[in-house]
Amino acid sequence: MKIRTIKLREAHKNGENGGNSFCSILWDQQGDRIVTASSSDPSIWVHDAQFPSVNPKSIKHHRDGVTALALSPNFTCLASGSIDHSVKLYKFPGGEFETNITRFTLPIRALAFNKSGTMLAAAGDDEGIKLINTIDGSIARVLKGHKGSITGLAFDPKSEYFASVDSTGTVIHWELQPGTILNTLKGIAPATFSDQSAMNMLSWSPDGDLLAVPGLKNDVVMYDRDTAEKLFSLRGDHVQPICFLSWSPNGRYMATSGSDRQIIIWDVDKKQDIDRQKFSDRISCMAWKPHGNALAVIDSKGKYGVWESPVPSSMKSPTEDIPNVRSNGLLLFDEEEEEEASASGSLSDLGDDSLGESELSSRKRLRKNSTLDNSWGEDINDELDLHPNVESHKKASKSKKDSIDHEKHEIKNRMTYSAPKMQESFQPGATPVQPGKRRFLCYNMLGSVTSMDHDGYSHIEIDFHDTSSGPRVPAMTDYFGFTMASLNENGSVFANPCKGEKNMSTLMYRPFSSWASNSEWSMRLEEEEVRAVALGTTWVAAATSLNFLRIFSDSGLQRYILSLDGPVVTLVGLKDELAVVTHSSPALPSDGQMLEFRVLNVRSATESLRGRLPLTPGSYLRWFGFSEEGQLGSFDSKGVLRVYTNQYGGSWFPVFSSSKLKKPDENYWVVGLNATKLFCVVCKSPYSFPQATPKPILTLLDLSFPLAASDLGAENLENDFILNNMHLHQIQKRIEENAAAGRDTASIDDEAFTIEAALDRCILRLIASCCNGDKLVRATELVKLLSMEKSVKGAIKLVTALKLPNLAERFSTILEERMLNEAMGSTVLHGNFKFDAPVQADDVFERPSLPESSTEKAVLPLPPQRSSTPSFPKEEKAEQPPNAGNGIVGSTRALRVEKTVEAKDVKGATNPVKKQPEEIPVSFNRPSNPFAKKSNRQEHSSLFDSIKKMKTDTTGKR
Amino acid sequence: MASQADAHAATFSAAELEFLAEDELIEIVPNMRMDPLNLICGDFGPFRPQIATQVPVWLAVALKRRGKCTIRPPDWMSVEKLTQVLEAERDAEKFQPLPFHYVEISRLLFDHARDDIPDIYMVRSLIEDIKDVRFHKIGTGLEIISRERTYALRLKNLSAMEANIVRPFVTRALQTFYKLSSPDMIQDSDSVSNRQPQTANRGPRRQLKDR
Repeated sequence: MKIRTIKLREAHKNGENGGNSFCSILWDQQGDRIVTASSSDPSIWVHDAQFPSVNPKSIKHHRDGVTALALSPNFTCLASGSIDHSVKLYKFPGGEFETNITRFTLPIRALAFNKSGTMLAAAGDDEGIKLINTIDGSIARVLKGHKGSITGLAFDPKSEYFASVDSTGTVIHWELQPGTILNTLKGIAPATFSDQSAMNMLSWSPDGDLLAVPGLKNDVVMYDRDTAEKLFSLRGDHVQPICFLSWSPNGRYMATSGSDRQIIIWDVDKKQDIDRQKFSDRISCMAWKPHGNALAVIDSKGKYGVWESPVPSSMKSPTEDIPNVRSNGLLLFDEEEEEEASASGSLSDLGDDSLGESELSSRKRLRKNSTLDNSWGEDINDELDLHPNVESHKKASKSKKDSIDHEKHEIKNRMTYSAPKMQESFQPGATPVQPGKRRFLCYNMLGSVTSMDHDGYSHIEIDFHDTSSGPRVPAMTDYFGFTMASLNENGSVFANPCKGEKNMSTLMYRPFSSWASNSEWSMRLEEEEVRAVALGTTWVAAATSLNFLRIFSDSGLQRYILSLDGPVVTLVGLKDELAVVTHSSPALPSDGQMLEFRVLNVRSATESLRGRLPLTPGSYLRWFGFSEEGQLGSFDSKGVLRVYTNQYGGSWFPVFSSSKLKKPDENYWVVGLNATKLFCVVCKSPYSFPQATPKPILTLLDLSFPLAASDLGAENLENDFILNNMHLHQIQKRIEENAAAGRDTASIDDEAFTIEAALDRCILRLIASCCNGDKLVRATELVKLLSMEKSVKGAIKLVTALKLPNLAERFSTILEERMLNEAMGSTVLHGNFKFDAPVQADDVFERPSLPESSTEKAVLPLPPQRSSTPSFPKEEKAEQPPNAGNGIVGSTRALRVEKTVEAKDVKGATNPVKKQPEEIPVSFNRPSNPFAKKSNRQEHSSLFDSIKKMKTDTTGKR
Repeated sequence: MASQADAHAATFSAAELEFLAEDELIEIVPNMRMDPLNLICGDFGPFRPQIATQVPVWLAVALKRRGKCTIRPPDWMSVEKLTQVLEAERDAEKFQPLPFHYVEISRLLFDHARDDIPDIYMVRSLIEDIKDVRFHKIGTGLEIISRERTYALRLKNLSAMEANIVRPFVTRALQTFYKLSSPDMIQDSDSVSNRQPQTANRGPRRQLKDR
């Protein structure tokens, strides 16, 4: 048997003692979320099944460990029982606390919902089992009969019977309607008196015909539904008693976990084991995925995981032919609930025999109603990339408005569950609400806005990271309940969604310094809700629920109102630029979110960019913003950072992928980026966002393209190569823009030169590794990409040192060719323009390198001289003082050069190769800096050449 | 200690040791923006608000005094780590690995960055305890040496402060043992080290009793 390992993640800290505890696990309806609880942890965690690194949501209302969990069959209501003697109900998936539905005098051990979700059974160390109406919380019945503490409860899926088991191993078979004992089977299950981490349990098969109970001989015994007679048992490789069992949704398979720390999957019909899995700890709870072949497990140390495809693909899927009547014990599972389920809560409904029929009709109805439903309605096995944590706006606002009718809304909204949700709007750098804790409304490279809820109002504080230069902003009390904020050097903007009739959505702007007092302003929006805010220099923008983009000036003047193409996802502002991300269409069932972005220039009222915003399939946008250089960047929930470049007609380059770092226990919460680094807060799993106190510290991560594993084995170099190329392109673009605008580009030129030098260094290293890896063609191609001729010379030296004379010859031919091209280019300039003296000096200085190449070639056949110049440290090559070794050669051969150049002059002058006339003034500017080093000037001219070279190269290639 | 100092037992004063320890690197989180500092001992920075960077302790303390940074206590200065070390130190015969300048660095941080260390009282008492346990170990260890005949001594993971305290005594004691055990050596160096064996012979016992 193939041995697979299932990676378990820690969900619950296991108390101080490190002992075993009883943990529970549940799936939600779609298999998007996994709910876990542990008897040593008072909080329930809701994990994201697809993105385990996404921060789980905690539901903490119990004061002591949670021993039992149950999800109502319509998946809208979560019940939990705890050692603190209480049973609580929550809304699901929201997790809002609803009620303390009952209390016991001793700890709770087991919970179960009935088929329709109208009744909850709860029991524990007390003597009676309470049957509670979930509608009003009234106790319908108390079933007394057990001697020990009750550890397992199960409603019969046909709602006739009820079974319970206690820690002494006694199973009682109840008839629900009168609430009387049908059969008492004493001591049929293993007794687990002392061990609270292993509890007896039992489960009805999904069709209700069999009751499975762990047996005394390390087996599972099946009892008849009506007579409680022993029918057969599943016996196999468990060497210790079974402590948990779970039927697959179709009742064909069963998963059992034993105290011997293994899980066995059984084919129930053949009474045979199919597969098994060993674990390091006892698995205390399991749950089959409602749609699909997966089993969620949690061990007694509080670690959970998902066993993908426990049933081999050759066999029928565990979800095929799901019987109409379904429900099994702890794993309450249902697709459709009874139509009047929530309306009728009385016991008389329990014995409804026409259940199957009504379900069939309701299924038809469902299919008719929802078109998006098809994919899982027809092919359940097809796992959808469903969207987690994202709820439709509609539902979110509804659930806010009325909590009483929540359940009804859930039922109505169920149809939309089948397709991924459109991502809700968010503010970059905001963290979700955590009760009783300070949260970030905004955290960026500049500072942070935090908010802390006190009953009814909240305290908002604004801090700048740089305490010495940023203004000091007094804390403010917020009576509006702001949930969105944005911050820049000049001010901050706040907004709140509307809460009910009275509290309208408000937008407020607070400048940090103003000559006039009382210069803060606020706007109220009627019948409209602010979804996202942003601010830049002298403007404030807010996108609203009516898909309006409202732009205000910083003094509060309403400047523009634009209609957006779709619901807004986020807004970001930097200086004059405002980036808007909107939904372009509903989320695709296969691919997730469909987003598009626009970049608007607020000052000139123009649109500078527009396009689709790509995301990793199945992910959603986590962060969006400008880099320090003003480039757009996006970060999605799968941990891929993308940067917008204007190459290839404007595309997004993935420049970072957290999966490449191979640190699964770390989540990255992006704050910003610059050209080479990503600024983020590293959060240890399960947290995906930082706490506001203590102030999170930024970590710098290198940008790295998700490169394919190359045969070269020099991924760092290749990464640098692409990155430098990208930067160079951007800088050249900027130079062109600035030059076109007639601005001084000297400083950018310097920057471009350093990048160019870095790129050449990187290419030289790549050439070295290519030569070592015997990839000579690639090396030759790389040489052509070198921008400075002295780096080409370096490359020639390098390959001669590596004893590759063949390659050296090729390289020198390349060098010669480019010298020729350059000479032509420079003579053209010569012919067209009268140069100032210093520039001419440059020019002359440049030229001797032509004969140098010929000397190099001449020398080449003489290996001793070559090898006498040993392989330089590679970095040095690019940084050699320009023409250091060439002076003598240059001067002696200058005459000849002049001649050769002049010979070409005639040809060149006729050839109008004047590509960038706007760059010429730049070269005039250069001598104006008297402090510029001479070598610097030389560098500039070589930059020019290289730019030209790049141009010709690129035009030549593409 | 200074009174003992002679050619053989050159010891440092506590202040001197602290000065030496100030060259150790420590992580700070600046709250100001500053270009990299190019110092003789190396380049530090650039300093950007909220982004951690490594600097020598002396620089960290100087910045901290001006309220320009918060110091991140090193990993070993957490309550869990120190509790572990203390337990291991009590159980094991050997010395637990701790930074060479742990006494000095913790002292410096307690003096200058009290607000940056979580659970400072706990940390402080743990470090005191560890120090005591280790010094006690040194004392008992030396007692064993003096009982048996030893010429060399291996003390792994001894910190600067501890080494500084035992150095004058241990080196001289071992030297004396060696000389006493080899008869020709005694005769050779009789004139030279006439005085030393006597003081050394008496010295150790007195010191050990004190501990």
